[in-house]
Amino acid sequence: MSENLFAEPNLKQITVWARGVLQNKDARDVVVALTEAAAQENKHVQAWENYVDLPDRIYVPVRAYAKISSDPIDSRYVYENDAPDIVVLVEETLVKNDKILKGLKEGGILVVNTRRSPEEILNFLVTKGNLGTIVTVDANSMSTAVVTLSGSEGATDATGIGGGISAPIAGAVVKASGIVKLENLESVVKNPAAMKRGYNECRVMKLDKIEPAQPVKEETAWDLLKRMPFAGTVDSPVSENPGMVTGNWKTRRPVIDKEQCTECSTCWIFCPDACITRTDNGMEFNLKYCKGCALCEATCPSGAITMVPELDFKE
Amino acid sequence: MGKVRRISGCVAAAEAVRLADVDVISSYPIRPYTGIMSELARMIADGRLDAELVYAEGEHAQLSIVYGASAAGARTFTGSSGVGVTFAFEVYSPISGERLPVQMAIGDRTLDPPGDFGSEHTDAECCRDQGWIQGWASTPQEVLDMHLIYYRVGEDPKVMLPQYVCQDGYFVTHILGDVQVPDEAQVKEFLPPYKNHHILDPKKPQIIGPQIEPCMGPPQQYQRKQAFDNINEVLIKAHDDFARIFGRRYDPFLEEFMTDDAEVVIFGQGAHMNTAKAVAARLRNLGDKVGVVRLRTFRPFPTDEILKRMSRFKAVGVVDNSAQFGISGGAGVLFSEVRTALYDVGDKVKTVGFVGGLGGEMITHDEFLRMFRKLQEVAKTGKVEKRAYWLPFEL
Repeated sequence: MSENLFAEPNLKQITVWARGVLQNKDARDVVVALTEAAAQENKHVQAWENYVDLPDRIYVPVRAYAKISSDPIDSRYVYENDAPDIVVLVEETLVKNDKILKGLKEGGILVVNTRRSPEEILNFLVTKGNLGTIVTVDANSMSTAVVTLSGSEGATDATGIGGGISAPIAGAVVKASGIVKLENLESVVKNPAAMKRGYNECRVMKLDKIEPAQPVKEETAWDLLKRMPFAGTVDSPVSENPGMVTGNWKTRRPVIDKEQCTECSTCWIFCPDACITRTDNGMEFNLKYCKGCALCEATCPSGAITMVPELDFKE
Repeated sequence: MGKVRRISGCVAAAEAVRLADVDVISSYPIRPYTGIMSELARMIADGRLDAELVYAEGEHAQLSIVYGASAAGARTFTGSSGVGVTFAFEVYSPISGERLPVQMAIGDRTLDPPGDFGSEHTDAECCRDQGWIQGWASTPQEVLDMHLIYYRVGEDPKVMLPQYVCQDGYFVTHILGDVQVPDEAQVKEFLPPYKNHHILDPKKPQIIGPQIEPCMGPPQQYQRKQAFDNINEVLIKAHDDFARIFGRRYDPFLEEFMTDDAEVVIFGQGAHMNTAKAVAARLRNLGDKVGVVRLRTFRPFPTDEILKRMSRFKAVGVVDNSAQFGISGGAGVLFSEVRTALYDVGDKVKTVGFVGGLGGEMITHDEFLRMFRKLQEVAKTGKVEKRAYWLPFEL
């Protein structure tokens, strides 16, 4: 009964994923541009950034959200969108993150900023549950990313909305979903030409068949209480902290040429996350925690380490 | 009339500080209140605000800076969150004791532990006995309005006391709301310039906060109590004038929502009460006689108003978004004080305490539904089986 009592049938949710610091602004601009356009259509709107993500860490996955509804929004005081209609990736390697489609509504839309085709992107998805449409848009060729801290932490953004790659991405969202009228989006973004290119040039692929989403069992507060250690302490030293897996921060990964490697261990010294270990097989990287900072590549005296784009690897 | 902007509670607070033409601001960063200071820094850089912004080395220094500046005749502003609020603790009582109307924004954050960014009222409620006026705003609009109202009340010659304007971290500090930002002319009409009559002046030296004999303790403290007793009258007048000038009327003490024929109500403060209201509205559609009472002024605690207005309900559920371990009643400070206020009604009004949203966790629609259902059960049976519930474990 309670579920029906609080249902918001006319509520649309948009979740935007991006990379920390460098893309906070463009991620926020996608949701602000779309909600401001929706507000012009007398919709009730909410645009906000995830408060629990770590927005001051470069490349960490961060999220911005939009809610758009013809009814007043009752569920304002939440941290996340629980059931997005549209998911947007401002950076393409986020496609390998298994959380991106969590809670997606049946027939939901995924919009990715990439040069690649929708078919290629589809291959990287860990789960395809409930996905109905994939859209790709090469926003980086249509506009330039805006990197600024203006507008972070709830303060006012003094740089204007939709001047960067957010404009073509928002255009692609509208092309695929029709969530707002194109002319209303045009009136709120700083770069309407790029927005229109995104609208016109994005590639939309409808999936033949919608796979049902696998049900996810959420831990209850009681489950969490049971596994809460005394006074919330964490054992130390540990080689891996399961509470802070950082491997999904990287967009490139280190690849070592063992022929060239002299096993001097310079990389081992410099790795800020202790992801490199010396083994009988030479230097090994722990990609579960490697953030892709490339310090190993920069400090390697024999040029044995190369940073390779994540999407060159299926896994 | 000013224009409507979609802004966060942080920006709303900064807009109020700008409109109040504050002279001295002291800052030190901590989430979630930081946005207020970054906004004010920009306003000063852009020439929209003429104020001295002092970057302190910590919160204790922050409060010490506005302490001195206020004594020197400046209208002052500072703010903090969580452990920042408690780090400054020593300075709160002297500011109030010297009767300096410093204003401080608190964007609530948990104390450590649980060591996250989430909101609990515990940080600000720790300061409840320091002789400051204190209240919670529940929306960005109310944040802006409360800052202006509290400057006027705190600086009233009959009062001369500092003020905390509190807002839930994230839920108000970071979530945008539509805000009517008033014109400067309206604010000028509402808020007279700050005049301190015992100003620090090199030509007329004085010592503030001198050592005293114990016999001077009772009169000095009674003087402060008398000032506190004057607040309600000044608060009511300020709200009347505010409504006349700005067109927005708030009850100074308690906002009542769907309470007219209500049998049971949820009582609490801050943004969570907006969720409680949404739940009450849905339950009204089902025919349930439920309502919400939102506390706006926490210090001075409106004992008489609560006694007068809440004795008509059958059951009152008090929601504390704070952890006061071992407190009387077994929930939080609001529950303890509401029970005290309702003591004179006798057994007629049943009270139940609920602790929720700790660590900044949301208090969900379903949780409020369970609270209302529990209160309805208490009202029906006339029996309180358990005085206080810690959510989500006990209800």
